[in-house]
Amino acid sequence: MPLATILIACLVLFSAVVVGVLAARPDFMAGRGGKILAFIAMFCLPIFCGLLGFSSEMGRSKTTAFCLSCHTMEDYGKSLLVDDPTHLPASHFQNRRVPTDEACYSCHTQYAMFGGLKVKLYGLKHVFIYYLGTPPAPQDIKLYEPYNNRECLHCHLGARSFEEGATHNADPATLPAMKSNQLSCLSTGCHDSAHDLAHLKEATYWKGGN
Amino acid sequence: MLSTSLSERRLRFAGICLATGLLIEALCLIWATPIAFIIFVAIGGLLIFIGLVVYLYSQAGTAVVPD
Repeated sequence: MPLATILIACLVLFSAVVVGVLAARPDFMAGRGGKILAFIAMFCLPIFCGLLGFSSEMGRSKTTAFCLSCHTMEDYGKSLLVDDPTHLPASHFQNRRVPTDEACYSCHTQYAMFGGLKVKLYGLKHVFIYYLGTPPAPQDIKLYEPYNNRECLHCHLGARSFEEGATHNADPATLPAMKSNQLSCLSTGCHDSAHDLAHLKEATYWKGGN
Repeated sequence: MLSTSLSERRLRFAGICLATGLLIEALCLIWATPIAFIIFVAIGGLLIFIGLVVYLYSQAGTAVVPD
């Protein structure tokens, strides 16, 4: 657990104790000084702790470990270690094209206004289905909406390998079509092997990394 | 006298809500799982919100007693 999270948890715990003491002895809050203390302890501190904790939880919810902590996501985690350079998630993860500790979030967020909030709400829906509904089999999980090239172009747009790639430039119409999201990067014959859970059993796995 | 005791009761209730909410949030921060995130937001956040509202309400009509 990161030190920052431990410190935040200690601060929240300390605030709980202070508020608890004030709640046990409300007569402390009778005078002007007591009211100022109560305002700090029972209004400012809980808001500060709540926001700090929320920020910490939001940060943690972006981590690869957080996403893969659900049993349903285990195969998706395995697919990051497939020993095949053409396997899209594996090549991104193993070559650090995405931060390895935020691998899922980096590709599955939406790089648009309120995109982060939207995917967090999707995440809440996942947790709701996981605990209170019937989670689908891993291979039956589908995206809520078709994968948008915007997410790929967030990193690849302007990159030499993307702009000058032979396949991307074989037809002059290809690159503009990709940039305007008319031709999906995940189209058949292009980068179409995202996760590919059906073939995980036959796959060999990369043993490197940490 | 009645208003003071009512005010104290409200303060005590607010304090209990806030302390419980903060305690739940502290535990959720340590317990790093997706369900902890939900409990943090839904239960911890709700208790803190209730505590804050009751605290402010209890202060709204209370006269300041000089030190």
